[in-house]
Amino acid sequence: MKFLVTKDLQHSTLLGNLMAGVSVALFFYLVLDVVLHGYVLGFDFSSMTDTLYGNAEEFIEPILIDSLLLQVHIDLFMSLFSIMIIASVYIRLYSSQKRTKILVHTLFILGLLAPLLLIVAYFTSVPFLYGWVAVFLLGHLLGMFMSLGIIQKLLRK
Amino acid sequence: MKHLKLYSIPIAYMLVYVVAILVTGVWLFLLSQGLGSADMMQTLTYVITFPEPKSLHNFIEVATPHIFAMGTLIFVVAHFMLFSTNISQRFSLRVSVLLFVVALLNIVAYLAIIFGLVVSGWVKLVTLVVFVLLFLLLLGMVAFSL
Repeated sequence: MKFLVTKDLQHSTLLGNLMAGVSVALFFYLVLDVVLHGYVLGFDFSSMTDTLYGNAEEFIEPILIDSLLLQVHIDLFMSLFSIMIIASVYIRLYSSQKRTKILVHTLFILGLLAPLLLIVAYFTSVPFLYGWVAVFLLGHLLGMFMSLGIIQKLLRK
Repeated sequence: MKHLKLYSIPIAYMLVYVVAILVTGVWLFLLSQGLGSADMMQTLTYVITFPEPKSLHNFIEVATPHIFAMGTLIFVVAHFMLFSTNISQRFSLRVSVLLFVVALLNIVAYLAIIFGLVVSGWVKLVTLVVFVLLFLLLLGMVAFSL
């Protein structure tokens, strides 16, 4: 982060390209993370509720808390690093814009809220699962939007 | 440089994320020791007297991502102390190095149990508690420096 702050972008094409490269990688990571969660929990609400709460008629057991918590534990770690990188580069490039502060706050809050909502949904009821889907998708879309913003700004220089 | 002030936002959120990672990590450990079928005190007693048996394969499966993740996380959090003007670099260095050592001990503690070097699981429990407390201290130092 110190490097991001102190290095002058105007005189370092390498830093600009590195920032664009990591943003491209994180954009695809966010896309694939949505797909991965679809495979783990289900792509529609019916399969998500079956995964989380089980389905007696179809003899589906609910997911074990150990497995779900492990997924949440990993999600928190991955979110922290991906969001930290996106936010740091975004701040570096868009610090003069007023909306930067709001976007960064929103991205971090959504990233933290999603895993917590999933755990709450497991112990409570379906409405929290709807909340998780909304927060998870919004967070990922915002991350993708900010990554694209970074790439666009760097390519235009 | 206006953006310097904005960087305190990601750092502040990072502290909350790390606390959440620590909480879920401890919860996962206790679940693996039987928290699902017993209360907290029973589980802690169980860890000390008769820790859950693990194979070497299980150990490697858990240790490999944790060595990477804990090392990286400590580095990322501790490197913010380079910017601190409130806490001395000397003290930050001691806390960080101690944290790296305790993290490693915490990971390899189960190896000692697997190979029968220790029968009791107190080693794992003590290193876990010290690791969490030290990490919270480091997080507090970063928060104080913001």
